[in-house]
Amino acid sequence: MSTRDLVLSALFAAIIVALGLLPPISLGVIPVPITAQSLGVMMAGVVLGGRRGAVAALIVVLLVAIGLPVLSGGRGGLAVFAAPTAGFLVGWIFAALVTGYMSERLVKPEQSNIAQGVGFFIAAVTGGVVVLYAFGIAYLAIAANIGVSKAFFGSLAFVPGDLIKAVVAALVGRAVMAGYPLLPQRS
Amino acid sequence: MQSLYVDADSWMHRASPRLKLGALAVLGVALFATTDLRILAATLLAGGVLYLNVGMTWREALRRLQPVLLTIAFVTLFSLLFTPWHEAAVTVFRLVTLTLFAATLTATTTIAAFVDEITWAATPLERIGLVKAADIGLTVGLVVRFVPEIVGRYAAIREAHEARGLKIRLRTVLVPLVILTLRDADNIAAAIDARGIRRH
Repeated sequence: MSTRDLVLSALFAAIIVALGLLPPISLGVIPVPITAQSLGVMMAGVVLGGRRGAVAALIVVLLVAIGLPVLSGGRGGLAVFAAPTAGFLVGWIFAALVTGYMSERLVKPEQSNIAQGVGFFIAAVTGGVVVLYAFGIAYLAIAANIGVSKAFFGSLAFVPGDLIKAVVAALVGRAVMAGYPLLPQRS
Repeated sequence: MQSLYVDADSWMHRASPRLKLGALAVLGVALFATTDLRILAATLLAGGVLYLNVGMTWREALRRLQPVLLTIAFVTLFSLLFTPWHEAAVTVFRLVTLTLFAATLTATTTIAAFVDEITWAATPLERIGLVKAADIGLTVGLVVRFVPEIVGRYAAIREAHEARGLKIRLRTVLVPLVILTLRDADNIAAAIDARGIRRH
């Protein structure tokens, strides 16, 4: 990894951490304020691509493990990994990887705005919802010993919020691609 | 950023970090291997005693674990609806015990010691060319250094919105935040390379 790539990943990890420190922002569509950290993970994928995005998420997970309170609400430390929801944290790495990889595949600079937006949205949903929930639900089912189907239905309540985050990530991805393109291309 | 390390002097503080991490890993596996409530209760008690004696006030100790314990409580209530109480009890004992020991480890191990352990663990990966182990410490330092900067930048963007009478919306805040932050990457990378921090 070049120094520049390492720095980009570290800076994006810092953005994800900072998003957890900010006061929650209301989205307008739903009245519930959201914590923006999982949005940050999707953004890491759409902005930096698979490899660098995954490294950014990996850095955040590492910071949690070594005892820095970097998750929203000042959570951190190894105790976070003992929670039955730890799969949703470790899954961030793979969520960013898949979001980024699909973005590299689906989105080209010469496409129309709408095509780019749709491409980023599909990438963010696949990585940030499908892949992330696969990890989260699998670990929840094992750690809490409640079985896959119950873990699945218990997690469904969070899907609408995450879909809205995917829309925001797609809009951000498109705007950053226009303003300061970083996404590697893959055909 | 304040780390979760507690500056005190208990025997847990003095134990080797590698030993503590290894013990935690073994404990994690062992806890899931037993369903005997007596063994689990005894370990839970041991974990509680250990955790409350690392040099924090009880108030602070409980405050730290609140979010994790709430999650565990929520999941336990959920599982009580569908599984017999014995099974639910085993699950809650396991999770709380693991939480207590993990939190003890976090409270008694410095960030530097953790970084050393991770660097040591990454050395085999370095040999096969996957990572540079020394990068881990560098990255941790970079993030800790830049988080306050990004929070400050966010405040500036917010103020710029207010000055123009614009509504604060996620998209219009995040785009300049991401671009302004990542634009520094070239300069930072040049500074790191100019100092030869990653040569070897």
